[in-house]
Amino acid sequence: MTTRDFVISRRGALKLGLGATAAVALTATGCGSGGGAGGAKNADGKVELRLTWWGNDTRNANTAKLVEAYQKANPNVVIKPESGEWASYWDKLATQVAANDAPDIIQMDEKYIREYGGRGALLDLAKNGLDTSKFAPGTVKPGESKDGLMGINAGVNAPVILANPKVFKAAGVDLPDDKTWTWDDFKRIAVEITRKSPKGTYGSTSPMANDATLSGFLRQRGKALFTEDSLGFEAADAQAFYDWIMELQKAKAIPSPDEVAEDDGKSLDQSSFAIGKAGFGWVWSNQLNAYDAASGEDIKILRYPSQTGKAADAKLWYKASMFWSASSRTKNAEEVVKFINWLSNSVDAGAIQTTERGVPPNLDVREKIADKLTKSDKKTIAFIEAIEPELGDTPLPPPVGAGNFPDIQKRYGQDVIFGRSSSADAAKKLIDEVKGNISSAS
Amino acid sequence: MTSLSSSTLTTTGNGLDRSGTSAEGTGSGRPKKSPVLSAVKSVAKHVLLIAAGLLMLYPLLWMAVSSLRPNDLIFRQPGLWLKTLHVQNYSEGWTALAQPFGRYLLNSAIVVIGAIVGNLVSCSLAAYAFARLRFKGRKIWFAIMLLTIMLPVHVVVVPQYILFSQLGWVNTFWPLVLPKFLATDAFFVFLMVQFIRGIPRDLDEAARIDGCGHLKIFWHVILPLMLPALATTAIFTFIWTWNDFFTALIYLTSPDMFTVPVALRSFIDSTGGSNWGAMFAMSIVSLLPVFFAFLFGQKFLIKGISTTGIK
Amino acid sequence: MSVVGELNSLRRPKGAKKGEKEESPDNKAGYLFLAPWLIGLFLITIGPMLASLYLSFTDYNLIQPPEWIGLDNFHRMLGDSRLLNSLKVTFTYVFVSVPLQLALALLIALVLDRGMRGLAFYRSVFYLPSLLGSSVAIAILWRQIFGTSGLVNQVLGHLGVQSPPGWISNPDTALSTIILLHVWTFGSPMIIFLAGLRQIPRMYYEAAEVDGAGTLTRFSKITLPLLSPIIFFNLVLQIIGAFQSFTQAFIVSGGSGGPSDSTMFYTLYLYQKGFGQFDMGYASALAWLLLVIIAAFTVINFIAAKYWVFYDD
Repeated sequence: MTTRDFVISRRGALKLGLGATAAVALTATGCGSGGGAGGAKNADGKVELRLTWWGNDTRNANTAKLVEAYQKANPNVVIKPESGEWASYWDKLATQVAANDAPDIIQMDEKYIREYGGRGALLDLAKNGLDTSKFAPGTVKPGESKDGLMGINAGVNAPVILANPKVFKAAGVDLPDDKTWTWDDFKRIAVEITRKSPKGTYGSTSPMANDATLSGFLRQRGKALFTEDSLGFEAADAQAFYDWIMELQKAKAIPSPDEVAEDDGKSLDQSSFAIGKAGFGWVWSNQLNAYDAASGEDIKILRYPSQTGKAADAKLWYKASMFWSASSRTKNAEEVVKFINWLSNSVDAGAIQTTERGVPPNLDVREKIADKLTKSDKKTIAFIEAIEPELGDTPLPPPVGAGNFPDIQKRYGQDVIFGRSSSADAAKKLIDEVKGNISSAS
Repeated sequence: MTSLSSSTLTTTGNGLDRSGTSAEGTGSGRPKKSPVLSAVKSVAKHVLLIAAGLLMLYPLLWMAVSSLRPNDLIFRQPGLWLKTLHVQNYSEGWTALAQPFGRYLLNSAIVVIGAIVGNLVSCSLAAYAFARLRFKGRKIWFAIMLLTIMLPVHVVVVPQYILFSQLGWVNTFWPLVLPKFLATDAFFVFLMVQFIRGIPRDLDEAARIDGCGHLKIFWHVILPLMLPALATTAIFTFIWTWNDFFTALIYLTSPDMFTVPVALRSFIDSTGGSNWGAMFAMSIVSLLPVFFAFLFGQKFLIKGISTTGIK
Repeated sequence: MSVVGELNSLRRPKGAKKGEKEESPDNKAGYLFLAPWLIGLFLITIGPMLASLYLSFTDYNLIQPPEWIGLDNFHRMLGDSRLLNSLKVTFTYVFVSVPLQLALALLIALVLDRGMRGLAFYRSVFYLPSLLGSSVAIAILWRQIFGTSGLVNQVLGHLGVQSPPGWISNPDTALSTIILLHVWTFGSPMIIFLAGLRQIPRMYYEAAEVDGAGTLTRFSKITLPLLSPIIFFNLVLQIIGAFQSFTQAFIVSGGSGGPSDSTMFYTLYLYQKGFGQFDMGYASALAWLLLVIIAAFTVINFIAAKYWVFYDD
């Protein structure tokens, strides 16, 4: 696999050209009247909808069942599944949208919902009659923006710290009480685990490993990652965050910079927390299943610490593990919304999905599927429900142009931990770069 | 690897000894000086080659071993030592996706065969024109051909996708195969040009004096002489097309049209749980055709000029 | 006339053409043989290239129609420090990995060219890494080998090296692991060299042997000149390929170009701008800058080839 191999093997793609008609189509994208195949009626007079998502083979099989069940109940609809895998999913979607050939129903992520929605590529689901009356409080908000309801929460998610009881036990350290613990407790415990564990095992993974951590950090300082159309914090806040990371690193609460950067490139089940080399792990709640399976342990799920030791001051929030969105250029908005409605609100759909895409936001569905849940599912749901009274405001998704904020933040974070930049410099450059991106995108 | 290169340096002289026939396995050249020294050299060379070979083989061994480990042990047990044989990865991997894995192998095979035929025909025709024919605008076309190799793919993906979607060819094999019949893999055109230029001109001049037209010269003189280049093209086309992820990803949308590389990624979810065991098992399965294609193809590769009757 | 001559004469003003005028007796045949390529060029190659050229003068976010902004994208490049960094990374990669890989490929090809026991086996084994393609498996494997507690560090540990770096995850060493990965897949140029060696007519060697020429003489007087078109081919294409290098970096860094932008290759940066940041106008401008850089190197290559590449026509 020399470079050339790759380049050439892709060259098939490169060479393909652009006829005169195509050039016209290129300039016409965004006009909402192009010739995408999606949503057309097929030869039998049935409505054809294209459905795309990312996931692994389990989700693919699960989604196939959903499609089958829906088609059975709605014989006038044919759903064409288009499955993908996270990294390449976005290349493909961008290409399809650019060519005015977007699938009708799109599994969407917080990172990109404004990039697409803010540019008019997504349908306002609320305006098109999606029913969210049975949704748990705070679970609809993540998909809302000034452009409307750009996507509906497909699974409730919350930022959490996981704890591996095996590592704690081996180090002879007690698990903290997450309702009262503070940041100082977190650091003290993590340092203690590192000290009492074999070489190569640490108290915690790096907080930078998860994109929620900075958000949580800022919220407890009374700030936010984003406002409606800009950043919600200043350089001083980012600098404080980087300083805190360095402090944890110097105290050996977290692994060395090399190990942190390495862990970052690994998939979930290879990561140091999954293989039992860290006491705490910074993750999203919907990943608990996978960590339970990968580690073979009964992983504990904890709230973020706070400054005060009061759980409500941790200012946790609900995020959507993913959204269901629709292309604004679909020719069958009605059928599309009907399908998304079924996915979101029907007990039948819930019974097939269980928690594969996250905890169902619809309370009725959640209740009806209770008997189908695994032990991991039950832990997650119990946690999600327990923190509901303590939640802070729902944070806004990244504005147009800031979708890649997590990558930028990580890059400057690496500059800091590898000593290539001071925390003050990195923080300032972070702000400048992101603000530059936002202003050039608008 | 560096130690290897420096030590093979000393043997390059010998490497040029063409006294062996073109077929392989005819012994290590004709001993000229001391037979003992020669034998020592030969043994040393094999030892070095085997050592280097192991380095090359390591990834395959590791993949094979991983394909026989249960999912949760793949990353927890380093090394090549197997405690149990988890052959279920193969049976589960074969059936885990929307279609049996054989379907993806078949899809890949269709694309690969089309691509090989296309590249062999169209690239050799173009190469003959560039290397042997005198026509107006030749230099400019040649320069343009080279230019087409130089633009990074990512910026032309969108325009070209628009073209094929206008033609209604998304989710068909056409966007993957048709360009090959139109010699868009300029890499191979250039490769064949260089090979044809290496063929002594006397040979086709002689044919021309005998009254042969260009098609005849191309077919009866040039093509047989460039068999190594054709074999190289076929092998590379096979492997690169078989492994091509991006084009297949963009153009094939429904799961029953997926080629092997796209299907393999369906086992993986970087943000959740992945079916690594099945992924490795099916990787091994999909490697077999490529490996055999190479073994088979290289037989043609080493058939040099000597076997084509021209000396 | 050689390809070099051709390209050179391209650059000369018309009147100053060397000696005899180019004859074009094969016009009809030439265009007939070229027909498939020409059709492909006009139907499916030129269009997207021109489209991307057009887009390089626009603000284009993939979703909304492109908006003409003239040279703004090119002005932006001047102040783009990450672009400068990506150029540095890419040039380092090109100048280190291409010579290393070609030298290794040529050496092994020379060794494997002669008749010897187990030849087919060795050839296959040395080609194996190239067979694996840009698969996910390679990405995982490379991290396993060069990770903080990977194979390399385990060996180093046994040799008594105290806390070696995490090769892939340290900004000082990450690029070298990618260069190594590239060199390791020397199979493709090796195969091309092998094919080239096979095409050298045996009669030359036999004649040289009759004249009593030694192996070194035969190498420098026969192999090297007769293989030079193929060496040239590999050199030109490897340089083009290395400038466009994407996969290795994508695989090793998971597409991030990290740690700390230390493996941020030019095309990876371009890709991130285009698809990650929806800035396809700027990405197109970057692509055309790269095309100019590569074309410049290719022209230099063709000019230099005049002095060392030998064609039998």
